[in-house]
Amino acid sequence: MECYAGIDAGSTYMKVAIMNNNSVLEGYKVAPAGIDCRETAKAVFDQLLDNLGLSAPDVLSITSTGYGRRRVDISHKNVTEIRAHATGAVWTAHEGRKIRTIIDIGGQDSKVIVINEEGETKNFAMNDKCAAGTGRFLEVLARVLNVTVEELGPFSLQAESPCQINSLCAVFAESEVISLLARGNDRKNIIAGIHRSLAKRVSGMARRAGLESEVLLTGGGALNPGLVAAFEDELMMDIYVAKNPQLNGAIGAALLGKNSNGGKG
Amino acid sequence: MNESTNEQIDEILMNKEADQLQKRKARFARGLVRSAETTLAELEENPDLPESMHYFINIMREVFVKDRAHRLLLPSQNQSANNRKIIGTYCLMVPEELIYAAGATPVRLCGGNYEASLAGDELVPRDTCPVVKASIGFTSLNLMSLYQMCDAVIVPTTCDAKRKMGEELSKFTEVWMLEVPHIKDSEGSRRQWLQQLYALKNNIEKFTGKSFIRRKIRRKALDASIKMIGSAQYQARRLYDIRKSSAAIISGRDAMFAINAYSYDTAFKWTKAMTRLNDELEVRCHKGQFICSEHTPRILIAGSPPIFPNWKIPSLIEEMGAVIVADESCMGNRYLYDPIGLTEKSVTDMMVGIAARYIMPCVCPSFAPNEDRLFRLLQMAEEFSIDGIIYHVLKGCVIYDFELIRVEKIMKGKNIPVLRIETDYSPEDIEQLRTRIEAFVEMLGIRKER
Repeated sequence: MECYAGIDAGSTYMKVAIMNNNSVLEGYKVAPAGIDCRETAKAVFDQLLDNLGLSAPDVLSITSTGYGRRRVDISHKNVTEIRAHATGAVWTAHEGRKIRTIIDIGGQDSKVIVINEEGETKNFAMNDKCAAGTGRFLEVLARVLNVTVEELGPFSLQAESPCQINSLCAVFAESEVISLLARGNDRKNIIAGIHRSLAKRVSGMARRAGLESEVLLTGGGALNPGLVAAFEDELMMDIYVAKNPQLNGAIGAALLGKNSNGGKG
Repeated sequence: MNESTNEQIDEILMNKEADQLQKRKARFARGLVRSAETTLAELEENPDLPESMHYFINIMREVFVKDRAHRLLLPSQNQSANNRKIIGTYCLMVPEELIYAAGATPVRLCGGNYEASLAGDELVPRDTCPVVKASIGFTSLNLMSLYQMCDAVIVPTTCDAKRKMGEELSKFTEVWMLEVPHIKDSEGSRRQWLQQLYALKNNIEKFTGKSFIRRKIRRKALDASIKMIGSAQYQARRLYDIRKSSAAIISGRDAMFAINAYSYDTAFKWTKAMTRLNDELEVRCHKGQFICSEHTPRILIAGSPPIFPNWKIPSLIEEMGAVIVADESCMGNRYLYDPIGLTEKSVTDMMVGIAARYIMPCVCPSFAPNEDRLFRLLQMAEEFSIDGIIYHVLKGCVIYDFELIRVEKIMKGKNIPVLRIETDYSPEDIEQLRTRIEAFVEMLGIRKER
């Protein structure tokens, strides 16, 4: 079987996706990035091939993207996250939806990509200076609140009146949360406030980048229903969640590899 | 007995302090040499480097690595050369013609060094731009002969940071403030500016004279210095035109570097070197020796000036596969772009001509309104077939950032993408910037293919 692999070597997770000749997702694997993304990429890729019963010659192209893309030596070429996400979004978009903006909440950065009808990047903005507006922001605060990252979303949806979190900085927000707890605020309200704060920060960036509807949320952050709700409130529009939000970059990379390999999209 | 012991202790303490200071200076000096040499080595690695670029690289190496600026600016060892005054300048509003005409030598001091900006960091508010931090750092450390050899410095009142910098610099050196109007279109401000230049001329005449006797700037000398800078401008414009070719002949890194070197060289020698570079580039053009293809995305770098050795952004852009064909930096194209228009050659007419040249066509964002700059950018975008603009904002440079609003709007109308990069001289954000610039260049490449 002919297929194409995309490897998204993110800061926190390694995502590998394999697409077949008809652009159908054959299989995927997500694993913590570890300390050596070259080794991790190879291991995750090999395991995925095993699981799918494929052998290396079946894979016609391997395209890497993400923070560690240049270090992944099993790939044939690498593309930037921006391009991979833009391509992935067109594929992953719900039936009939015309995605024009992608908001990606990653572990170490967040980005907003505005694309045109052909799926080409029109403009983009990235938050890569600090933890504000990234998955790490949630991770740090989840630890303070003694919940897992997975529990954050459901908790936040149960909030009655979300607290106001003013600090965008993860470290200052942490002390703000601690004082909110000390004042006896309900944990759920605090969690909802955290989501709002993050959504607010990223929405500002999205507006500056020239946000257009419809909006697709990708990245690990999209797995969190509380964050989706917070974005809908903040941007006052419907937000669509990618089918495999964490895989969007990897899928995009695989498709780009396929297209440049002469495959028919 | 007791007293003498105390004195001894004081002396030991003082020596210790001086020792600490020396050590600290030595550390800065090492860092400074290293960062300058890194940038120079990167430029020299380029296989397409034009032969004539070595002259400019050598200038920077003499000034920043070998610390021998005096060799460039005071070349001859005769008596008159030893009395030659060196006048430091900040910003491009200082008329170098007046300095040359008085037999002095101007040197542009705006700092681009990371280590110097760290030294300056302790002396100015945190949100000050790195240009001012580095300039103050260089001056306060008293490390480099480039800064030590200036007998006086002229600081035009352009942006807030530069204005206050003048005040701070006066702790270390003789500073002459030069009041630049912020509104060019009013009759009053033009008259005031002319008066300022007459006052400056007076100052320079007194300064270069002997024992309080003014050494008047003669008509002939002024005419000659206008001509000398005019020919430097002619060569700068030749380079500007060469960079318009559909496939680039010189990288933006090199071109901007060659212009930047003008700051530390005498106009006469620089012009000769620039003529050689332009001749070489024209030959390359005839031979079809291009550094990249016609499909390479063409970038205009706008906003705050990259100043040597801070070649961070120009290097990243070109490493990521684009070519910088134009810049509007006050250390680059804008520095030597506008010539002086003269009708007669009386001193009065020349003074009016100089006054007009230094503010009327100048598009520094310290002017308001500054519609001229938008017009200039549109003109450049067209002349150089620009695919995208990288808008460089040095942290703390509010006025360039302000004008981005208008630049973005006007470029949207022309369908030219603009990427804002806010950074300073520190290397810590290079990897993040690389991702962003790479994605931008990739996007421009795809747009261009279509």
